[in-house]
Amino acid sequence: MGRRQSLLRRLTGLPIELGERIGLLDHVPPGLPEGAPPPKHTFRWDLDKTYLRTEFDSFADLAKSAFETAADKHAFPGATALLRALKQDGNRICIVSGSPTQMRQVLAAKLALDGIDYDEFVLKNNLKNILKGRFRALRAQVPYKLPAMLRSRIGAPAASETLFGDDAEADAIIYCLYADVVADRVSLQDLERVLIASRAYEDDSERILDLARRVPKGDAIHRIFIHLDRRSPPVGFGRFGPRLVPVFNYFQAALVLYEDKVLSARQVIYVALEMLDSGQYELGHLATSVQDIIRRGRVSRETALQLASEANEAAASGVLSGRTDLPPFEKIAEAFRARVRELGSTPTVVPVELAEPLDYVRLVDEEHEHRRARRKQGMG
Amino acid sequence: MPGMHRIVVDAMGGDHAPDEIVQGAAEASLALSSAEIILVGDAHVLGRILPKLRHDGARVRVHHAPTYVEMDEKPAEALAAKPEASIAVAADLVARGEGDALVSAGNTGASVLACARRWTLLDGVRRSALAAVYPTELRRGEKDDPFSLILDVGATVDVTAEDLVGFAVMGSAYAKLVSSNRRPRVALLSNGTEAGKGPKEIVAAHAALVETTELNFIGNIEGLDIPRGVADVVVTSGFVGNVVLKMLEGVSDTVVRLARYAHKERLAWRLGLIALSSAIDQLKSITDWQQYGGAPLLGFTHPFIKAHGRSNARAVTNAIKVAHKALAGNLCGNIARTMAELDERSQKKPRASTGSDTSS
Repeated sequence: MGRRQSLLRRLTGLPIELGERIGLLDHVPPGLPEGAPPPKHTFRWDLDKTYLRTEFDSFADLAKSAFETAADKHAFPGATALLRALKQDGNRICIVSGSPTQMRQVLAAKLALDGIDYDEFVLKNNLKNILKGRFRALRAQVPYKLPAMLRSRIGAPAASETLFGDDAEADAIIYCLYADVVADRVSLQDLERVLIASRAYEDDSERILDLARRVPKGDAIHRIFIHLDRRSPPVGFGRFGPRLVPVFNYFQAALVLYEDKVLSARQVIYVALEMLDSGQYELGHLATSVQDIIRRGRVSRETALQLASEANEAAASGVLSGRTDLPPFEKIAEAFRARVRELGSTPTVVPVELAEPLDYVRLVDEEHEHRRARRKQGMG
Repeated sequence: MPGMHRIVVDAMGGDHAPDEIVQGAAEASLALSSAEIILVGDAHVLGRILPKLRHDGARVRVHHAPTYVEMDEKPAEALAAKPEASIAVAADLVARGEGDALVSAGNTGASVLACARRWTLLDGVRRSALAAVYPTELRRGEKDDPFSLILDVGATVDVTAEDLVGFAVMGSAYAKLVSSNRRPRVALLSNGTEAGKGPKEIVAAHAALVETTELNFIGNIEGLDIPRGVADVVVTSGFVGNVVLKMLEGVSDTVVRLARYAHKERLAWRLGLIALSSAIDQLKSITDWQQYGGAPLLGFTHPFIKAHGRSNARAVTNAIKVAHKALAGNLCGNIARTMAELDERSQKKPRASTGSDTSS
C-alpha cells in the first residue's frame, strides 16, 4: 500500500485523499508506530446517528446529507466533549463509519472543526462495491464493520475497548459479535455461519475469518454504548447483556463511564455543560437522565450521589467559573439528589447476565426481517 | 426551567392504568419537545413499563407514590385513608411548584377533591368548574372541532349567578385556546330561551352576561340545543350539568344498544346498518372522544385535565397535549385577566345587578 501511495503521489502530484475520495483506493488506517506501546484503552465510534445528527431515512435526507458542508453538520450535544475527554492518557480513538469514502473530506473537516483528535477514520468504499457489482455489500453492515474493527485491533491491540454505536443499524449485533470474537467466545465455524447469514461475499468471509484467527484475543470489550437516536425501547437491548448500555444522551454515557472509572467528575461536568450550551437540554433534563439511567439499573444510586459530591468539589475548584447562566452548583447538585430521591426506596431494574451465548445467526436474521419491515413502511 | 412545561400525570389512575397511561406519556414525550412529563405512581412498576416503550428518557421522570385510589372508591374516604395515593402526591407536586399542570384518568371525585384541597383558586374565581365535552352537529373554530364544552358537570353543585358568570369566562377562555375558536358562543342552560326563564341565579347570571363585552354570550339555550351545537360553551350548575351529561351518555348508550338489537333482529335491518357502516365509522372518528383527550377542571392557578376513565394511550397523549396547550397559551392567566376586568366593571355598578343576592 505504501508503495502504491507514493507511486500515485509521484504520478499525479495530488494528495492520496483524492484516490480515496473517488473510491479508487482503500484507506488503510495507520497502526501503531514501530516500538510504540499498545494503547491502554481504545474507543471505537460510529459517526452517523452516533456522533453526528444525521437523517437518512429517505432519499431526500441522503441527498441533503451528501451535500452538507462540515459547518452544516451537527454533533449530538455532549458527544464532542465526551470524545475529547476520552482522548487522554494515550487512549486511542478509532472511527468506523458506514458513510462512503467520498465523504471523507467533509467529515474529517467536521471532526477538525470540533477539535476531535482521532487515530483512525475508516469509511465504506461503496463505489468499489458498485464497480465490482457487489451490490449486497452496499447495505451489508457486518461484513464491513467487523473486519474494519478486527484489522484495527490487530494494528493496535488495547487492553480495554469501549464501543459507541446507535440503534439505527445493526451496531448492537456487530459490536457484541466483535467483542465475542476478540474474547474467543465465537468459534470460527460459528462466525462463518454468521457471515453467511449476513450475506457476506465468500472472499470477504475468508478475509474476515483470517482476521478473526489473527486478532489478539482477550476479554477486552467492557462496555458498548448504543445511542438511542430512534428512541428505541431500551428493553430491546437487554438480550445483549449488561455490558451493552442503551443511552438517550451522552450525559448518561458519561455517568456510566464515571461509574466504570473511565471519566472523572470534572469530565462529566464538561459533557453536561456542552449539552446545556447546545440549548437542547436544561438542567432538569440532565437530572431526569440521571434518574432514568438509575431506574434502568445501569448506574447505582450511590454512584450518582458520589458524583454529586465529587462534582461539587470540582465546581469549587473552578470548573464552573464564569458560568453566570447557571445556578450555584450546590443548588444543581441538590436538584439532582432530589431526582434520585423521587424514586423512593423502590428497587431498580437489575440488568440480567446472559445465561447462554448470543445466537448471532438468529440476531442477524431478525435484523434483516426488521429492516425489510421498515423498508415496507417507508422508513428507510 | 423557563419555557419547559412540567406536566404531572397520575400514572395509576384509570381503567387501563398504569400501562396505557405510561404509554400515552411516553408518546407525548416524543411529540412535545418543550414538556417534561412526571409520572406519579409505583416507581418499581413504572420503571418496568417505561423501558419497553419508545420515549425520551430525558423528558419522562418518575415520582414514587406507594398507593392509589381505585376507580370505585369513595373519594373523601379514599384520600383520607391513602394520603400517599398517586393523585394526592401528584396534586401536591403541582401545589409545591414542582409541576405546572396535572393530568389524570383516575377516579374523578378523588382527582377534583385532591386538587381542590391543595390548589389555590385564581383571583376573582369563587368556585371551580369541571367541564366535559360533547359531540355536536356543528363544527367550530379553526380546527373544525365537533365538541362543545359543558360546565360545570359536578365540581360545584350549588351555584350563584356570580359562579355562573365565572364558569362562562373560564369555559370561553378554554374553548378559545383548545378549539382555536376566536369567539366561542357562550350560553346558559335553562328551561327556555327567554331572558327571564329559569331559576333566579340563571336570570341574574343572564343579566350580568349580556353586559359583558369580553364574551360572545348568545343567551339561554335548552337541553335539546346541546347536541345541535347551538353554543360552543354551555354554562350550568354542577348538579344540572352532571344530570345532563349522564343523560346524554345514557341516550348514546341506548342508541348503540338499539343498533345491536336491530343488527341481530332482522336481516333487512342488518343490511341497512352495513350500508351505513362507513358513515357510522366516519361519525365515530369525528366524535372520537379519545382525540379530545380530556376535559378540564377550571378555576385553579394550574390546569387540570381529567381524561376519561377508559382512556387508552392515545387519549392520554392527547390529554397531555391539551394540558401543554393550556400552559403554553397561559389559560389560567387569561381567565384571571378576564375575571379582573369583569370585577373592575362590576364594582362600578350597583352590586344588585350581578345577582349576588341569589347565592344559595
